Parts: sequence; structure tokens; C-alpha cells
Amino acid sequence: MSREAGAKRQPPAGVDTLLSVQGLSTRFFTEEGQVNAVESVSFDVRENEILGIVGESGSGKSVTALSLIDLVESPGRVTAGEVWYRDPDLAEEYRGDDSVAVDGDHIDLRTVSGRVRRGLRGPSFSMIFQDPMSSFNPSLTVGEQIAEAVEVQRRARANPRSTRSRTQGYGFGRFFLDTLVPGRGYVTEPSTERAVELLEQVGIPDPAERAEEYPSQFSGGMLQRAMIAQALAGEPDLLVADEPTTALDVTIQAQILNLLRDIQTDRGMSIVLITHDLGVIARMCDRVCVMYAGEVVERGSLDDVFDNPVHPYTQGLLGSIPDLQDPQPRLQPIEGNVPSLVDEEMGDRCYFADRCPKAMEACLEEPAERDAAGGSEHRAKCVLTDREYAPSEALPADYFEDRGDRDA
Amino acid sequence: MVSPRVIRNLKKGFRNSLLPKVGLLLVVVIVLVAVFAPLLAPHDPTAQNLNQTELPPLGFTKTVNETTAQLVDGEVQTVTNVTTIEAKLSHPLGTDGLGRDMLSRVIYGARTSLLVGVLGTVLAVVVGVPVGLVAGYKGGTVDDALMRVADVSLAFPSLVLAVALIGLWGRATVAIPDPFVAAGLASGMPGSATLPITVVVVVGLVNWVWFARVARGEALSLRQQEYVKAARALGAGDTRIIGRHVLPNAITPIIVLGTVQIAAIILLESALSFLGFSGTTLSWGFDISQGQDYVSSGQWWIATMPGIAIMLSVIGINLVGDWLRDALDPDIEGEGGT
Repeated sequence: MSREAGAKRQPPAGVDTLLSVQGLSTRFFTEEGQVNAVESVSFDVRENEILGIVGESGSGKSVTALSLIDLVESPGRVTAGEVWYRDPDLAEEYRGDDSVAVDGDHIDLRTVSGRVRRGLRGPSFSMIFQDPMSSFNPSLTVGEQIAEAVEVQRRARANPRSTRSRTQGYGFGRFFLDTLVPGRGYVTEPSTERAVELLEQVGIPDPAERAEEYPSQFSGGMLQRAMIAQALAGEPDLLVADEPTTALDVTIQAQILNLLRDIQTDRGMSIVLITHDLGVIARMCDRVCVMYAGEVVERGSLDDVFDNPVHPYTQGLLGSIPDLQDPQPRLQPIEGNVPSLVDEEMGDRCYFADRCPKAMEACLEEPAERDAAGGSEHRAKCVLTDREYAPSEALPADYFEDRGDRDA
Repeated sequence: MVSPRVIRNLKKGFRNSLLPKVGLLLVVVIVLVAVFAPLLAPHDPTAQNLNQTELPPLGFTKTVNETTAQLVDGEVQTVTNVTTIEAKLSHPLGTDGLGRDMLSRVIYGARTSLLVGVLGTVLAVVVGVPVGLVAGYKGGTVDDALMRVADVSLAFPSLVLAVALIGLWGRATVAIPDPFVAAGLASGMPGSATLPITVVVVVGLVNWVWFARVARGEALSLRQQEYVKAARALGAGDTRIIGRHVLPNAITPIIVLGTVQIAAIILLESALSFLGFSGTTLSWGFDISQGQDYVSSGQWWIATMPGIAIMLSVIGINLVGDWLRDALDPDIEGEGGT
């Protein structure tokens, strides 16, 4: 039931497109069967913008982020798609190479080697994670860990484009020495100073003293700041923030979001912000993708998606947040749960049809992505983009329940 | 790595229970004895004195029945002279069949046992831990391949494997010069200690699997940690992640296993020496095998004295290992730990 598109190269159109993802699919090959965690996802990230990805738990947001920076772990694998990244130097280097897809300044990272992709982590992409408490090694000081990130990038820069430089100088010999000789750290003095600078930039008071402390001595909000500092060590073009505020309380959330905004403006970098919180999206993002069951079901500018949602799922999401100006007696939740993403259980229909209040017979076929009203980028995978809901064609309310019984 | 909590737990465990005190005392005594053997031993452990063979230990006597045949009035008469041999103060644990002082032999035997125990464990750690960490961290095919090798070596009975390897390589030994003798502090003692290098290698190779399995288990759970993912997202390489983020957090069970393994390796070394594979004749196991011939004829101490030494050292090391385990175990916060 795979919806992987045919191998048709779609290089990004705009020059200001930093990253263009086309038809990206990630599958997990588990014992229960193949799980289509990310299904033909396409979106662009422009220079100097914040792109939001929103969806329920289990909709494939985080796996999409991990797929971008090639951190999907076994048994998962990126099975299809193109990730066009703008890097003139790298594009120039591979222009003559037949096995690597290059278009202008853009290069398709799915066609280069894993080594090159790893080399881009840090100076090009960086990621911050949901739970700051578990994202720091409890046995090293916070300063050491940030300095380590600085050091990795420094070594990479000293020997550009050779990803080998990251392991050079840190082979097993050094590793044994570091382990056996106490006080013999990997990080150098300049890196430590830079780490303190970074901590200061993310608003940590007494950064020199705090750098000496262990993660357990930090509060959650402070650690999230420290993690942002660590992610900034390589001065990345693109920061992927995977639910950066979910583990924090509300006042700290606001501080962290402001910090991310400020850093994004100061450095002119782009952020992919993954969250299930529409409030965060509304406050931070320029454009937004709504994900459901591994697919991007609707995407467009913030105004288009929030003011004129086309897909009933987006409407449902927006209907399930309280509005202080217009308090309704009850919020309207979306009935049901995110479907199982096991390949053989997924039909060839709109994945949302079984929860959709407006499911029609046309929804039993795979929906194509269509242009929706509003801005030129507003697109949705729903038949309702170019027709009205017709109650006469509606599926009976128990249509999917019956099917479920019969299948079982 | 060694957090204040661990030190607090160590102190608490030491205060609240008798066993760590006993264990630590035994280990300290054995280490001191092994280190200062030339100063402590009353005799050269290898010097034979055929006039004073099979002397009993202090507090015991040995009776010898000497039967002589005499011709009395044309008839053969057997006369049995019963002599009682008293223990001598100069040989408090008695002497063996060649008149060598048992106390000195037990004291010197501690050197062999501890050297083989510690070096064998170090070798097992050096081989096993990297293999386990790489297998656990990499997963997939690498993990399968490495762990099948480990399973295969685990399936061999360790003593059979050890005997086979020694048969293959022979009994190589290295003479380590004794610093006390070289400095002239202990005259009349052997000038060097014999380290049975084959035995060290063999016990290391027999026991690396345990370290590999423990390290793999830790690496398997640690690689799922967010901070490992975060390090990868920042561009860190595998060697660095294993060295900086996985190993330091996996070190606790490895330390605990190490102490237990020292005791196990001492036993294995004794068994190999008993079977005559060691290459050194100054070893507890070797003395037990020499002494077993005498047990049936009443000279029990030749086998028993080194046996007691093995028992005490293994008990001591295991008690210390338990103490460390309880203190390092994060689940046991502040409990007495017994």
C-alpha cells in the first residue's frame, strides 16, 4: 500500500530555498510488519524562516525530523525521497559526479554518502530535543559537553569537507588515555571559553560557574537553554527543534520560544519547529505543515492554514483549542485515535476518513495534494479542496466499524 | 563517575555491615603479603631441607611408625618404633615433602595468584569491554557477529579451553625481578618472581566474554539515551560517542564484575596450576596438587594451607565486590546493602 512516488527528480525552484524535501518516506521494518512512519512527505524550508510541523502523537513528526538529519535508527530506514540542501561548495564538489544529484546550488543529500551527511551535522543542521534532562550526559559537566560540540566543529572546519577529520585525532589511543588518565579531557581551552560565551548568549547567568556544573544541578529550563547553546556551537544553517518546550512549564516555555525567535533573527538561520501545540505554532511560525498518519495533509502560510483550514483534520485540531474571546460550551475533540501505521493495515484511502466527520465515497481513494484557496503555497491532501461536502455521498457512520469487524 | 552519592553509600555500607570490613581486611592483608613477600617470608620458599621434610604445623604432632625387621633367635621379628615429630617454631605452617617452608610458600603464592588474577582481569576487560561496547552500540550485523563469537567461546567449558590453549602455546613464563632483593633488603630470597604469561593470556581469553556481555547490555540501553542522539545530531563520531558518552556511564557494572572476576580467575589459575599447566612452581594450586599425595598418609597440611589461602582471598575479594556493587547500584539508595 505504499504511496511512494516514482523516481522523478524535483529540484527546488526558489533560490532562497534552504532545504527542499520531496517525497520523503521512512519505514520501520519491525517484527509486526512494515510501519510507514513517514509517507511521501514534501515541504520546503526557506532561508531565515520558521517552519512549523504540527500533528498528534504518532503522526510522524519526530521521525520526519530525524530523517532530515539522517538519524533514523535501525530497524527504521529512509526508503525514498529527496532532500535538497543548498550548499554551493558541496554542490560544486559533486557537480561532475553522476551518482550525486546536483541542481544549481542545491544538492540532494540522499544521493551523497553517509559520511558527507554526517559531516553536515553540526555546521549545517543541528537538533534540539524534547527532554533536556535526558539529552545531557549525566557524567560530564554541561560546559564540557558544549565545549565538545565546539571542538568537533572546530576540527571539522580546520579540515573542511573531509568528514574524516572528526575522527582523526580521536582514535582509540586518545580514547584510552582520556579514559585512564583523570583530568585529561578532550576539550581545549579555547573551546571551553567559547562554550561559556554560548551559555551567556542563551541567557544563563554566571555562565563560567554554571559551565562547571553537572546536568543534575541545572533546572529543566536552564538545561534547555544549554542544549540550544550546544546546538548553536556549529553555527548551523538549520536548527531542527523537536518539541523544544513540551517538557517545560508554561512560563519557561515562553522564555525558550522567545530565545529561539531571537537567535533565529540574529543569526538569520532557519528553524524547523516540531510541536503538537498549535499555540506555539501560531506564535512562532511563518509557515506550517500539518501531519497526520505520516503524511503532510495540509501546508501553507500560517494565515492560510489557521484562517482557512481545508482539511477536516486541521479544522479538528483548530477546533480543539480553547478560544478565550469566544468561549464555547464544549471543545470539539477529534474522535478516535491516530491509526496504526503498519503497512498491511493501511488501506488505499484517505487515512483520516475513518475519523473524518465529512467522509465521503470519494475519500476511499487515495487523495492527491491539491491547491487550496488562499496563498499559492496553500495545499491540502483532501477532496474537499476543490468540491463541497455532499451529504448525499457521505459514508455511513458505521462504515469503518463494519469493515474492521469483517477484517478481523 | 564516582559521585558523592557513591562515596556516601560506600561509607554507609562499611559502617552498617560486618562483611565489607572482613572483606576489605582480607584483601588488604593479602595485597600487603603479596607485595612484601620477601620481607615477610621466614625462609626461601624454594629452598629444600631434606632433613626436615613433612614437619607438621604448630600445634600438631606427627607420628611416624618405623617398622624394622630383626633377626632374633633365628626368627624374623618386626619391631615397630613409634616416633613423634613435634612442630618447629621456625616452620609455623610446617614443611612439604621436600622440606620447604609452607608459610613462605603460601606467602609467595599470593604473588602469583594476585598477579594472574589482576592481569588476567585487565586483559579480559581490555578485550571484552570494547567488543561489547561496539556490539551494543552498533547493533545489527556487527552485534550479531561479535556476540555469536562470544557465545561460542562461552559454550566451551573454560577449563577445557584453557588446557587446549596452553597445549597449543606451551607454558611461557616471564621472570619479574624482585625489587626488594635487588635493593638488598631481603637476602636469601628468590631474585625474581615467575609470571606464567600463558596462564594470564588464557584466563583473560576465557573470561573476556563476561565483560563483553555486560558492556554490550549497557551500551544497548545507553545508545537509546537522548544524549547519545544529541551527540550524533551535533556531528560527533562513533569512537567519541562510545568513549565519552557510553563507556563512562557503563563503568559501574564493569567495576563490579571486575572484582568478582579477579576471584574467579584466581580459582581458575589454581585449577590450572593444580593440573600442572602453570609453568611456575610457586603457586597455591601447584602446592595443592603436590600435597594431595600426602593427604592419605596423614600430612594434610601440605594441601590444606594453600587451600585456606585461596579460600580466604576469594572470599575477601567477593565481599569487597558485593560492597562495591551495593554502593554503586543506583537502586539501593542509602540502604545498608546486605
